[in-house]
Amino acid sequence: MDLFLQQIFNGVMLGSTYAIVALGLTLVYGILQIPNFAHGHMYMLGAYVCFFLITVVAIPYWPAVAVTAAFMAGGGVVLEWLAYRPLRHESPINSLIAALGALIVLENGVIALWGPQGHRIGNPFPAVFDVLGITMSGQRLLVIVIGVALMLLLQLFIKKTTLGSTIEAVAQNQEGAMLVGINVNLVSSLTFAISTGLAAVAACLVAPIFMISPSMGAMLGMKAFIICILGGLGSVPGAIFGGLILGLIEALGGGYISSAYKDVFAFGALVLILAIKPTGLFGKEVQGRW
Amino acid sequence: MLKLKNVTTMIGEHQVILDVSLEIAEGDFVALLGGNGAGKSTLFRTIAGVLSPSRGKVEFKGEAIHKYPAHKIVGKGLCLCPEGRLLFPQLPVYKNLMLGAYRRKDKRDIKDSLEQVYALFPILKERRKQMAGTFSGGEQQMLAIGRAIMSKPQMLLLDEPSMGLAPLIVEGIADAISTLNKTGITVFLSEQNAQIALMITRHGYVLENGSLVLEGLSADLLQNEKVKKAYLGT
Repeated sequence: MDLFLQQIFNGVMLGSTYAIVALGLTLVYGILQIPNFAHGHMYMLGAYVCFFLITVVAIPYWPAVAVTAAFMAGGGVVLEWLAYRPLRHESPINSLIAALGALIVLENGVIALWGPQGHRIGNPFPAVFDVLGITMSGQRLLVIVIGVALMLLLQLFIKKTTLGSTIEAVAQNQEGAMLVGINVNLVSSLTFAISTGLAAVAACLVAPIFMISPSMGAMLGMKAFIICILGGLGSVPGAIFGGLILGLIEALGGGYISSAYKDVFAFGALVLILAIKPTGLFGKEVQGRW
Repeated sequence: MLKLKNVTTMIGEHQVILDVSLEIAEGDFVALLGGNGAGKSTLFRTIAGVLSPSRGKVEFKGEAIHKYPAHKIVGKGLCLCPEGRLLFPQLPVYKNLMLGAYRRKDKRDIKDSLEQVYALFPILKERRKQMAGTFSGGEQQMLAIGRAIMSKPQMLLLDEPSMGLAPLIVEGIADAISTLNKTGITVFLSEQNAQIALMITRHGYVLENGSLVLEGLSADLLQNEKVKKAYLGT
């Protein structure tokens, strides 16, 4: 029982970070109509920016997280402007190639600057709590609390504010949005800023728990993509539940069977769910551009 | 109010609109007739700024607007209610309408417009919480017109509002459009259904292969042999 609860806790922790990253991917999908495959690499870059701020600039953890989020939000805007905006009216395959180009540049840029080896950010909250036989480190609890808070804030922003509803409007009908007076370019920039800022916060939160390395983005980007497919591409609740489900599958599979195979469980779950429900858990059938 | 001078619009390699010039006075009610593929939607999308003309000039209230992006033109008081409606299907009716007022600031003024829309189409009030995508074609058309009214336009471009709708519903929509014109909104209405368009409008233009071939009072066009033969089926 203790092992089970422990793995549930770990799964929820992992799942919250997955959910935040997948949320960003799903939001941007509404703008691009393709998955932004460079998203995981922006997450990775966020971890390195945070690492740089703490070790080189030597500022404390919280200010470093805030600066990283703001910097990476700007980075997201630049990525959209450089890689995707010039291709908006072209075939989606071109944007896909641009995404692959961007992720190669990002990964190799980080390798050139910090080297291919892993780095560690010192744990700002080393305290450990023991609740009902579950070991909870301060940092892991923090990941869950902030993760849930960010998801709620994002949901409130999209559903309750006019600016937020423009993101939904552009995702649902780009020309319709233009015709009511929404500046689609501005909304694209805003969406990329939010999406990349969220990924950066997630990266900062887990950086003290796991090692950071240039390859961490590729795996996470792939998993965020799985989550979005699990939940239905473009669906916000889908990204949240998909993230939690994937985190739980990995933690339980890793805890009970073998942690060496935890990625197998993740991808296995994808295959299984898509075989049963091809539109994803929350997805609706839509006619795509493919 | 609206003036087009030698407007030519290309889509890819094709000249879809060729050298169109026209002028619409404030408060007027004008029909644009033409068959499938004549270029009616392309002309409207050019005026609304979704497409930009490769040659020529579009003036609205004396201001050249053909270089403005679509979202800016809405703010000038010129609104296109597009072919195919282009609603936000997974947002409730109410939010679709409020997004129509996106460029307006005065809250009380927006509320007045909302009441105006609800008065014109009471069904939108009844179903304000329903997702737009679950509506029937006629209801979606009402919502599209309602969303356009929410921008408080001085001029409204309506692109084939009757498309795919049952005759009885078309009549209701036609009545609503006439009412809007009577409140002072200049209306430019594109239609394949020439009969009903010429019955309610004052002036009409006929577009063929991207060029204007006929213009005149709607009542005269209804009697015109060419129009009768090509568009009225009599």
